[in-house]
Amino acid sequence: MATLKGIPVSAGISIGRAFFLNRSGAGPLPRQSLPETLVPAECDRLDRAFAQFRQEIEQARDRIPPELKEHALIIDSHLMILTDPKLSGAAKQYIHSLRINAEWALDKAVADLEKAFSALDDPYFRDRIQDVRTVAGRVQARLAGQPGGMKAIESRVVLMAHDISPADTATLQTDKIMALVTVQGGKTSHTGILARTLGIPAVVGVTELEREVRDGDLVVVDGLRGLVILSPDEEGLAHFSDLKYQFEAYQAGIMRGCHLPGETIDGYRIKVKANIEMLEEVPTVVNNGGEGIGLYRTEYSYMNRTKLPTEEELFQEYLDLATIMSPRRVTLRTLDAGADKFVSTLGAYDERNPALGLRAIRLCMYHRDIFKTQVRAILRASVVGNVSVMFPMISGLREIRQAKELLAEVKAELRQEGCRFDVNMPVGIMMELPSAVMIAEILAREVDFFSIGTNDLIQYSLGIDRTNRYVSHMYQPLHPAVVRSIKHVVDAAHQAGIEVSLCGEMASDPFCVPILMGMQIDCISLTPQAIPGIKRVIRQATMDDCKKLLKLVLESPSVTRTNALVQETIFRQFPDELMFYSSLLDREDSPAH
Amino acid sequence: MTNQSIDANAPDAEEIFPVEDGFSLRVRVLNDQGLHARPAAKLAQEAQKFDCDIHLVHHGESVDAKSILDILTLAVGHGSELELRAQGPGAKEALTRLGGLIRNRCR
Repeated sequence: MATLKGIPVSAGISIGRAFFLNRSGAGPLPRQSLPETLVPAECDRLDRAFAQFRQEIEQARDRIPPELKEHALIIDSHLMILTDPKLSGAAKQYIHSLRINAEWALDKAVADLEKAFSALDDPYFRDRIQDVRTVAGRVQARLAGQPGGMKAIESRVVLMAHDISPADTATLQTDKIMALVTVQGGKTSHTGILARTLGIPAVVGVTELEREVRDGDLVVVDGLRGLVILSPDEEGLAHFSDLKYQFEAYQAGIMRGCHLPGETIDGYRIKVKANIEMLEEVPTVVNNGGEGIGLYRTEYSYMNRTKLPTEEELFQEYLDLATIMSPRRVTLRTLDAGADKFVSTLGAYDERNPALGLRAIRLCMYHRDIFKTQVRAILRASVVGNVSVMFPMISGLREIRQAKELLAEVKAELRQEGCRFDVNMPVGIMMELPSAVMIAEILAREVDFFSIGTNDLIQYSLGIDRTNRYVSHMYQPLHPAVVRSIKHVVDAAHQAGIEVSLCGEMASDPFCVPILMGMQIDCISLTPQAIPGIKRVIRQATMDDCKKLLKLVLESPSVTRTNALVQETIFRQFPDELMFYSSLLDREDSPAH
Repeated sequence: MTNQSIDANAPDAEEIFPVEDGFSLRVRVLNDQGLHARPAAKLAQEAQKFDCDIHLVHHGESVDAKSILDILTLAVGHGSELELRAQGPGAKEALTRLGGLIRNRCR
């Protein structure tokens, strides 16, 4: 009973047989050393596999109708990779020099290219290694004697794939799929969105998948913890079918209660809203009891395209969002691009330290015209009456004033043009830099609300890049410095009489939410999938307990003490609620060496 | 893509300089995303039609213009200036052709 680890992107448990939609390679990669006499024959075998795939690609290209010429161009670049001596030549050299089989040699040639590509700064060029992997994968499949083309699914299966592209989705027999598992993909990948829409578990980023699993293998997909369990024994099967039953019962329970308000037993009310990035997510928000959109990430409309979106496009998007959600409030965060969120239309800057570079509000001020277009679209959409705007990465007074100046300028223009908008549209800022936290009292006088972005606040306060595996174990949401920062911001907001909300991942962590409630935060905003579970925690809590817990947490001198204290308390108070949670607190404490 | 469109943007003869043992031409990359997968494929495809050695030089790094993988790992962004170097039979013609292609956004 082996277990493969990946990233959970859709909750649930499924037990079923594996079915591969596509493979990059040919299952477990065969590794063999060859006697010298077999080397020429092995080179021929590699040549034949390349030639076979080449012929298939060329035929496919000829079949593409003229209106899909763009696809023919993608095929062309795959064809060029296929014929590139840097791939086939390098693989052949490995067969000669190391006397290894063709599959292994090709794998090594790809690994060399991976090194070359991963050294590139520009994410677009770096990602082109995916094309190399796709091509090499198909050749590997020919080496293994697999034919191309898609098979029909007979009975319900756990669908496995190297990657599921939006194009694949159109042809998938969705009624036959009980779970999705892919090699590629991260938290935000298309696979996750698809799985959550279908209501089935999904795990992505399972790098070992193709080597370890074959068609027809019995597997358990644990979309709660991001695990794929291979050939489970009887005990394992019993455990997971129990878990599956419990999860489904629990899920049904929280869904029944998710439309009730987020209110504690003793009557304290906290708003529970959703973080989303596209219109398609709105139905999930409404179905899961979201009381508004606390964070609409506007980056999506700017990404993966060759031209900037027009004001009209943005206006339509925001107007649709506000109209569908009305009368619930919708908070649009202005473009938070830069650093990890690459927008090619804004150009790539040569930055040594992008997290501290030209990003978010700074990038917007640098491209004032682009920023203005977005602010115009937001203001015009505010005519529905439930729109507010917030600016990301504010470090001090100057940036707020500049942003507000631009807002005033746009308002004057719109007035002159006779465009209608909400003159009182609330303006807020993201509190995610330690500098902003320190002067929260001053900033509170300038705006209508605060939204605490804990993901960045933790990164900048602790100096930890959570995606860096050497230090990510030190990314601690309940570090005393972080807890005190949040408390300081909440108190400053309340003293100034403005609303304060929190929209980082802490808001979906049942171990953190009671602490935030103890601070009497007005609103939390989280991924729509987590809303029902968090609402249940809120509805079973009392403000009294939350305040007591907060007091203990504030007195704790270390994060180790805090985590132990919080886990003990929360498990005692909510024994039944936490079985299916993964918490920010239980991260693996072993740093990578 | 027609030959006409390339010819319209083709470099003039005096832009192509003789160097040590071949020829050199400087061009600017105008594609929005630089020499990404598709332009790189087109460029390598055209380069392969010539018998001479052709290299792309960018930020002091020189790669084989007939290899799409080499071109991609050069990561040539929008607006970058490139040097094309060719030596051997048909070197001048190759530079005229490829220079025109790049100026024509590899269409």
